[in-house]
Amino acid sequence: MTHRFLSHASLTALVAELVAAKTRVIAPVRAQDDPEQVDYRPIQKLEDVALGVRLTRGSLKEFFLPPTEVLLYYKQTKEGVDIREVPTEAPPQVILGSTPCDAAALEVVDKVMGWDYRDELWFGRRAASTIVSLLCTAMDSTCFCTATGLSPDSFRGSDALLVPVEDGYLAHVITPKGEALLQKYAEADECMKASAEVAQGEARQKVEKNLAAIPPEFSAWLAANFDNPIWKTIALRCHGCGACAGVCPTCHCFDIVDEHDTADEGVRRRNWDSCQTSKFTLHASGHNPRQSQSERFRQRIQHKFSIYPSRFAEILCTGCGRCTRACPGGMDLPKLLDELMTLAKSEATGSEPKGSSL
Amino acid sequence: MNIYQPHLMRIREITDETVDTRTLKLEFQDSKVAEEFQFSAGQFGEYSVFGEGESTFCIASPPTRTGYIECSFKASGKVTLALRRLAVGDTLGFRGPYGNHFPIEEMKGHSAVFIAGGIGLAPVRCAILNVLDLRDQFKDVTIIYGARTVGDLVYKRELEEWAKRSDLKLCLAVDPGGETPDWKGLVARIPTAVEQAVSTAEDTFAVICGPPIMIKFTLPVLTKLGFPGERIYTTLENRMKCGLGKCGRCNIGPTYVCKDGPVFTAAQIRELPQEF
Repeated sequence: MTHRFLSHASLTALVAELVAAKTRVIAPVRAQDDPEQVDYRPIQKLEDVALGVRLTRGSLKEFFLPPTEVLLYYKQTKEGVDIREVPTEAPPQVILGSTPCDAAALEVVDKVMGWDYRDELWFGRRAASTIVSLLCTAMDSTCFCTATGLSPDSFRGSDALLVPVEDGYLAHVITPKGEALLQKYAEADECMKASAEVAQGEARQKVEKNLAAIPPEFSAWLAANFDNPIWKTIALRCHGCGACAGVCPTCHCFDIVDEHDTADEGVRRRNWDSCQTSKFTLHASGHNPRQSQSERFRQRIQHKFSIYPSRFAEILCTGCGRCTRACPGGMDLPKLLDELMTLAKSEATGSEPKGSSL
Repeated sequence: MNIYQPHLMRIREITDETVDTRTLKLEFQDSKVAEEFQFSAGQFGEYSVFGEGESTFCIASPPTRTGYIECSFKASGKVTLALRRLAVGDTLGFRGPYGNHFPIEEMKGHSAVFIAGGIGLAPVRCAILNVLDLRDQFKDVTIIYGARTVGDLVYKRELEEWAKRSDLKLCLAVDPGGETPDWKGLVARIPTAVEQAVSTAEDTFAVICGPPIMIKFTLPVLTKLGFPGERIYTTLENRMKCGLGKCGRCNIGPTYVCKDGPVFTAAQIRELPQEF
């Protein structure tokens, strides 16, 4: 791994070069509908970017698994049906200034997308993307990346990680893709590296206090506690709106539907979906395996912290905190996890848990 | 070709099973796909009507009969209603085969009891025909099939054929009140029919599919007869979209019906969380 230094001017020039070369550059910018908020959006120049000011509303997911995308085009003809495939190769894109939790989420989701059957639409976009993350300093009380094994300076999923230093950024160049993008810049000196290490350490400490690390045995406890009465009360605040799934960087569930454009032509689409809605599992017969919101919320927690680990040896969560920030009912995931982990621990040690606030 | 891309199939034949249940006989339009297509009894596919969407059904014909596949469905939603509007010669989409299958190979040299209720006969029929096409490789074959009424029995032409065969025992039943004046079968529910028709579990595999309530009350009968949970096979259906383990909706706890199933043993089902 190399360390390079990019001055503000270098970064400005880099964005200009990429944009001139028709590479899509995506970075956090002030939201058009609410300047208080920040979204990842394609940019034209560095001045448009709001780097490190606040966590974005949405994750990077939409640039790899779009909220809606065409799977095929069909046309009814006299002879039958013509199908036009969609390309699985994607145009090049560079993500600039993503939070490390969002970059890591892509690698987490890679596992389900490549499980047995390979989703070429996902991997086409993954292959075409270079991800330059930025040390996260905009964390708030809902963040818990350190509890999931990540940190505000995680390398996972990033091709390079920028850390603000005097007059610019130190770049940890992590992968060959990152090297290809940043090799022309000068090596960072020891002083810059030391300064970056201080900033990284401070950032880690800020998140660590929000939630203790999720222990590996938590997954087995959840599986063994599928019928624990706690699920009946834990989701009382949940409206089942699915906002949490929309903003989640690792929620990847989808629906497949057909849409007519004319009587004879149309498309098959894949759309984001959420296990929090009652129709998600509704059978044609009217039977529904998950009838209540408590069952649906249990599915969300079990999937992220027990089912996914049992399949892929890691949790389906990067601790970004968005579900808590987006929830209209005030469901607070780090707080709920803390309650569940305390319950699990008290059972293991035989002690009574303190009064539940759920 | 991405994994969500269907093959095109043409409808060769349409058979109405009941007033609302229909069987389509389908052949691949592309001869290369037709030649290379292979599946095992119990696997499923995603069938689509372009402009309406995809729907999940098992393949109801056996792998021993090549050149076509069949699916049977009850018109109950958007896609199945659209499937009913299609005519012979029309095109539809098919992705598959997906999932695991019945243990036909392991069953060879042993006896088999097939138990089905209503449209649940579709996946069981695939296994039955598979076994009957290789009849000399199996010992005794018993089929117990029931529906709410005589009118709800599916695959009637095959039921008639099976009734005439001397190398299998067929036991048909309808629920009390569902019989017609000329009904010659049992007037009983499936658990009772199983008690009457099956005398031993020795050297025998059981395959069962039907409404959850039927399975719930038949499993204790099979257990009482001496069937271990590992030799009772059933097939589960859950709402699915991709069939490939990605869309995230068919799981029962850690078990994905689309990839770990749809065929499960009663022993495996006992271990699942009660959420199906």
